[in-house]
Amino acid sequence: MEKIFKLIKKWKFSIVIVLLATIILCCSEEKYKETTDETLNITEYLRTMPEYSMFVEILDVTGYASFMNTYGTYTLFLPTNDAITNLMADFGVSSISAIPIEELRDIVKLHILEETITTTSFTDGKIASPSMQGQFLITGATYDGGSASITVNKEAKITASNVEVGNGVMHVIDKVLRVADKTLAETIDTDASLSIFAEAIKATGWYDKLDQPVTYDEDSIPSYLTVIAQTDEVFQKAGFNSFDELKARYSHLNDPTNLEDSLNLFVAYRISPGLNYLADLAVTPALLTQAPLEVISVKLAADSLLINEEVFNGVLEKGVEINREPSDETASNGVVHLVKDNYFIKKRLPQPVYFDLGDQPEFRQLSAVFRKPGNYASLSDAELSSMSWEGSPSVTYSCPAIGDGNAAGWHGDLLDVLRLRDGYINNIEFTTPVIIKGQYKVWVSYRTNPRAPSSARAFFNDVPLSRLLNMQEYGDSGTPERVLESQGYKRHIEPFSSRFNSRLMGIINVETTGRHTFRFQSLAYAGGNSWFDVVEFRPVDMDQLYPKFESSGSGLIYD
Amino acid sequence: MRTRIFNVILLAVVLLQSCDNYLDLRPENGTTREEFWQTKEDVKAAVTGIYLSLLNTPPSESDLTIPEYIFMYGELRGGMVSAAQYTSDDQIDMLTTNILPSNSLTTWRAFYRVINFCNTVIDLGPPVLDLDPTFTQEELNTYLAEALTIRAYMYFTLARTFKDVPLKLEATLSDEDNFQLPTTPQADIFAQVVQDLLDAEAMAVETYESVAENKGKITKNTINTMLTDVYLWQEDYDNALIAADKVITNTNETYELIEASPSWFTSVYARGNTSESIFELQYTTQNLNPFYFMFLLAPQYLAEASVLEDVFGLDFNDPENKDIRGERASMVPGTNEIYKYTGFDENNRKSFAESDTHWFIYRYADLLLMKAEALNELNRGEEALLIIEELREARAAIDLTEEQVTGDNKNGVRQYILAERARELAFEGKRWFDLLRNARKENYAYINLIINVAIQSAPANQQQTIVAKLQDPNSHYLPINEYELYTNKALVQNPFYK
Repeated sequence: MEKIFKLIKKWKFSIVIVLLATIILCCSEEKYKETTDETLNITEYLRTMPEYSMFVEILDVTGYASFMNTYGTYTLFLPTNDAITNLMADFGVSSISAIPIEELRDIVKLHILEETITTTSFTDGKIASPSMQGQFLITGATYDGGSASITVNKEAKITASNVEVGNGVMHVIDKVLRVADKTLAETIDTDASLSIFAEAIKATGWYDKLDQPVTYDEDSIPSYLTVIAQTDEVFQKAGFNSFDELKARYSHLNDPTNLEDSLNLFVAYRISPGLNYLADLAVTPALLTQAPLEVISVKLAADSLLINEEVFNGVLEKGVEINREPSDETASNGVVHLVKDNYFIKKRLPQPVYFDLGDQPEFRQLSAVFRKPGNYASLSDAELSSMSWEGSPSVTYSCPAIGDGNAAGWHGDLLDVLRLRDGYINNIEFTTPVIIKGQYKVWVSYRTNPRAPSSARAFFNDVPLSRLLNMQEYGDSGTPERVLESQGYKRHIEPFSSRFNSRLMGIINVETTGRHTFRFQSLAYAGGNSWFDVVEFRPVDMDQLYPKFESSGSGLIYD
Repeated sequence: MRTRIFNVILLAVVLLQSCDNYLDLRPENGTTREEFWQTKEDVKAAVTGIYLSLLNTPPSESDLTIPEYIFMYGELRGGMVSAAQYTSDDQIDMLTTNILPSNSLTTWRAFYRVINFCNTVIDLGPPVLDLDPTFTQEELNTYLAEALTIRAYMYFTLARTFKDVPLKLEATLSDEDNFQLPTTPQADIFAQVVQDLLDAEAMAVETYESVAENKGKITKNTINTMLTDVYLWQEDYDNALIAADKVITNTNETYELIEASPSWFTSVYARGNTSESIFELQYTTQNLNPFYFMFLLAPQYLAEASVLEDVFGLDFNDPENKDIRGERASMVPGTNEIYKYTGFDENNRKSFAESDTHWFIYRYADLLLMKAEALNELNRGEEALLIIEELREARAAIDLTEEQVTGDNKNGVRQYILAERARELAFEGKRWFDLLRNARKENYAYINLIINVAIQSAPANQQQTIVAKLQDPNSHYLPINEYELYTNKALVQNPFYK
């Protein structure tokens, strides 16, 4: 131990030196990087790139240079110098500063979105958020010269995409985007091939409405309109060589400005509220029009968009195809599309709809189960496209064995909902087949179950129907059927089984032709299954008892 | 004095002992190359490692497995798969032909990892012959054939997916290796693949000792099947036919289609290694497959809703009349769940602990249909139709999916073969490659095959964009991942992804 101390004494000097050296060396200040990110923002980044010098110049002239350098989440469509040279040629000027400053500002604002949007969220239609100028940009893709490119506003091709900078993302485009400065009315009026249609909108007074700038209502919903126009050629194909012939055919009140005049309706039927590009139409099955309560249906068949193509009563009504190429024409207050054929308002009389609730497309695919006696299958909310509900995971399609008391319904099948009540399954909602506008009586038929809810309410498009449904009530086999009908009941199947019952829920007014929603809400406790058979929508002026449904079969029985 | 001597000795002992370990730079938890590659067992272990790397990702990596990538590359764009609850955004972008270089699914690391394992065996295996006198040339040849074939399959898959890819044929053994490799054109990659497979075929064995080895390891038959596939991509139909016939007429290992019966699904898929199997990745109950999560527990994919009706055909009048490959074999009707890899039989799924269904790289039916394709292209459509008929007979295919074509209708037969491949190889990672291979024939004469799939399956509001993009052949290949571009400056991005 002593020796160790001696050793320390002996080496004292060198220990001190080592310690000092360590301290001195350590003390030199370390340089920390004080910025967290060295990525440049848009303006700074552009200043380093000579190929975009002219756009930088525009930013400087318009005073947006410093703004585009602030932090934020922007998308910039960046025109190349060549594109801007072409723009100057369009204006007939030789320097950027010679372009009127207001127009230049609008142009710059049209190229900027206040959200970061990469090309993966582009669709065939408009970009979800508007440009800072207010107009929407539309995207798409073209294939020419052996390679495909994404396009913006149909004309500008993206040559480099998703360039990330500090405050957003940039897409380089080869053509300057131009603000649509014509209104819908002007767009139609100045197109020589639309002369008959233009005369029609003038004669009917719609010209003024199509000429108004975009306004916003109290919910800040813009007043954009979508017009489906048709060329003179299309009119000629339909036998109208001039506006006079069109007027002679349609204007039955001889006053086109009257909203009830058929010519006025003819025009109104082609104007829809909202800014609907073709991509929007492709996902909109029914589009409202300005003709009161009239809708047009839109269907995507392979790659063509068809207007009013539907199957009614098993008959296919051919639709009219939208001419894709010239469509998606942006105006300052909307968009114009063109069709390949003339079309007119479908005058349809109300038709009965017998909605077998178990007939859901997903159940239908189960070919070993669907309408095959002795089988059942359960599917969950997420798996059924036309049904939804609150609560428990699945509902069951059931086709009981032949001879089973539950098999007496139409098609011999039932939709089986276990415990229709709050906390299990409730607010079960169906999308109906297409119902033509008009007034209907609604009948709901079911297999009685003493453990089903004693009180359930039905809603058509969120409007409650007048009567409640007691699913514990048995069918009445004694009372004469017309007397029974007057009490709001009927024997809907033939031959009848008192295990089944049908109840008149009320009268509805279907305002638009199309698919609607129908919902059951249980107001009472239920310990067992609710078995639904058919929901009938029968026009009010139709016989409410006949045709009846064939028990355990698919037929209709007329007397 | 005595203590001093004692101290010196103590110091010496301490220093000598500790220094040994302290100064040793070799890793403590691994084996180095100098220690390994000494005996034939080492070579065998390395080859086994290659197979294992096809089945699983090494524990140090957080990648997906090879079958998962092949499934995504082969199915997502093929129109038979749609998104499910757990589909990632990157997967959805691939489903909708909306792929950017930042998409994580475009990383090819998993493939090059396997390639490097193969290269290591090819480079370091032969010198072992001198070190281990019990190691025979024959054994070495078998191992080399296995490594060459698996490497060829990796490059074949990469070239079909990315078009031009870097070709590295030597092992990467140190950090000093050159990693700045440019891409090699697709045609050259295919040529290299053919060369490797021909070399391998000369060295490979006909059969091993057990069935599991015959189906799970590389044999001459595996190699010739793969050659058929590559020749079809090269549009070299004469050689494709020759290679296919070598397998079909091989007497050492004979294949046959198993007749349709309720146990067909269980034997072919749930158990595997049947007489219709050529090469399968052998998952076991000790080494479970990744599919149970993918398709059942946290489903990432569903069958496209129209598949049951459009691909397999649905007889609404007689539910018993069905193609054994459809309902409860490939998929579950109604829910559209993909069933091939999780089912045990018609009624029961496997449990998670038994989830050992193999990944099927080549099956006999696949080879037969490839042969039919070669025959058809060689204007021998009638013979091709006979093959389709034989297969349909064995699978109890329903009349609704039978097509009335004659042998001289080349395009008709081509479509029929494609439709039959959709039924036979549903969800086996082949669909997109089948479409692409046929579309690119004769300088993209049949590009409509791909466009029509997009028209059917694209989201309605993106359809036009997708169709226009797909006109560009470069869009049929994935972009090089941005990370690869960043680390390897010699790479040039596919021009479509500008």
